[in-house]
Amino acid sequence: MNILAWKNLLHDRVRLVVTLTGIVFALVLIAVQFGMFLGFLDTSANIVEHNAAELWISAPGIPHVNGGSPIAEAKRWKAMQVEGVEKAVSFTLFFLNWKLPNGAFESCQIAGFDLDSGLGAPWNVVAGSVEDLRGEDTVFVDELYKKKLGVSKVGDTLELNGKRARVVGFTRGIRSFTTAPYVFTSFKNAQTYMRLREDETIFILVKTKPGADVAAVKAGLQATVAGVEVFTHQEMLERTQAYWVFGTGAGTTTLMGAVLGLLVGIVVVAQTIYAATIDHLKEFGTLKAMGATNGQIYRVIILQAVLAAVMGYGLGITIALFVVNSTSDTDLLIKLPAEAAMGIFGLTLFMCMSASLLSIRKATTIDPAMVFRG
Amino acid sequence: MEALVTVENLVKTYGAGANEVQALCGVSMEVRAGEVLVMMGPSGSGKTTLISILGGILTATSGSVKIDGREIVGLPEKHLPALRKELFGFIFQGFNLFPALTAVENVSIMCQLKGVRNPRQRAAELLESVGLQEKLKSYPADLSGGQKQRVAIARALAGEPRIILADEPTAALDSVSGRTVLEIMSGLAREKNRAVVIVTHDPRVLDYCDRIVHIEDGRVGREEVHNQREKVA
Ligand SMILES: Nc1ncnc2c1ncn2[C@@H]1O[C@H](COP(=O)(O)OP(=O)(O)OP(=O)(O)O)[C@@H](O)[C@H]1O
Ligand SMILES: [Mg+2]
Repeated sequence: MNILAWKNLLHDRVRLVVTLTGIVFALVLIAVQFGMFLGFLDTSANIVEHNAAELWISAPGIPHVNGGSPIAEAKRWKAMQVEGVEKAVSFTLFFLNWKLPNGAFESCQIAGFDLDSGLGAPWNVVAGSVEDLRGEDTVFVDELYKKKLGVSKVGDTLELNGKRARVVGFTRGIRSFTTAPYVFTSFKNAQTYMRLREDETIFILVKTKPGADVAAVKAGLQATVAGVEVFTHQEMLERTQAYWVFGTGAGTTTLMGAVLGLLVGIVVVAQTIYAATIDHLKEFGTLKAMGATNGQIYRVIILQAVLAAVMGYGLGITIALFVVNSTSDTDLLIKLPAEAAMGIFGLTLFMCMSASLLSIRKATTIDPAMVFRG
Repeated sequence: MEALVTVENLVKTYGAGANEVQALCGVSMEVRAGEVLVMMGPSGSGKTTLISILGGILTATSGSVKIDGREIVGLPEKHLPALRKELFGFIFQGFNLFPALTAVENVSIMCQLKGVRNPRQRAAELLESVGLQEKLKSYPADLSGGQKQRVAIARALAGEPRIILADEPTAALDSVSGRTVLEIMSGLAREKNRAVVIVTHDPRVLDYCDRIVHIEDGRVGREEVHNQREKVA
């Protein structure tokens, strides 16, 4: 009986094309929208994710990692007295103006980190050495934003918040969720660019001693250091993602897009599989007259749906991967990890099977006695 | 000859109330193994209704239909598919072949459904027996009406049913292919002691049948014995 499902599906080429187009369209929509969502999660908090600090100390109530405000750097000494703290270093993240060669301004975010501990250092370095940031006026930028920031090679100099900045290295793929790219420099340099007072920082990053209980250290810091809030790595990550991805509607919009794709897919596939079932009513009736059970008819209908799903998935995921790859060197990250691709396969099967339910209902009502009528 | 099917006082009423149609009003008859039985009658007389009930694809209102001694009237619906699978082969006026399947696939899918071993090989043999060995891989769209009906006959023979039920099998065929189909069908009855029931208006069928039952207004009218078998012998 399997052959009937397979050949019925292939017999009507036009319908097959319509079905596959529906599945592929839905799939690409789901994959790209969901991939954008994953990309947003990744991009929005990459600066936290790639930071090895277990605890972040900031001004109280900051909304996200990009929204810090100055605190006294002297609190670092207090923090270091807390049981379980191995290191407490300064880190800044702040929006600044970047002057382009043509005199126009772009916004960037200066990430100033402690060179000795390396907490908050850039990753994926493709040109230059992080050690070069020990020099005055030195910065790292990301290759993705070369054009936006008007730089092309190591040694280019520009103006950052009115002060000279020399590009000494590049990273690859450190995206920014906002339109302001990250520019890395030493904490000392950042203080100068930001015109912070000598005794001010934005964050104090804490590395705990091996085996220390992070929650206990956090409580200790919160009790010892006055006028600050202490976040774990995970808390800062989630707070930042929640702000950018859900607070801005970017997350909801992409997820809605994915759900919409699923609905469109179900409707298109349901419609074509239903039409195919109606067209084959006489054949199904003949099968029933000749002794096929309802279960056997359902199997044919469901198998048709599954075959359509497998074919549509093969095509759709190929196109989706193509779209994903084509974004790999743009500032919009679309992620499609293997787990997501597998999840989408499950979703495609679900989509096609639920689309065939209507047809199955129809098949139960087939009266085999119809076969003797004209 | 033994009676394979015995029908007694069969009544079928369609609809209810003002829409009630009495399609069969107490039909009694029998079908014997090895015979070609033809049912004739004017349009609307109840032939299709009768053959549908005989074949277990329509339920009767009252009366009795015994097949090989087994009562099928009043049998729960869920037992009917297995019964049809075991006992009957059906042939339709409109052929009802699956357009997406080749001739041999059309037959083998039915062999499969009926649990025949080596369905594909058996299908090829059945097609050969109706003279279509050259057309195994042809699609219905590429076959003539007579060839399609021969595929349908081969399909009806899948699983060696004891009873073949055909409703107007030649109505859509020209006279030459109509005769070929009837010849094959009458051969079926002789060769394996099957019962072949043909509903038709086609007078050509008289040359190939053993007995004619006339149906009029849902009742059995005249019965004629033709005894084709003796003529041939
Ligand atoms: N499903 C149905 N619902 C209601 N009435 C029906 C139904 N099927 C048949 N009838 C009626 O039952 C009667 C017998 O119909 P049937 O189809 O058995 O006749 P028939 O002898 O096969 O006619 P024909 O030679 O035109 O095929 C007719 O009056 C018909 O209108
Ligand atoms: Mg009829």
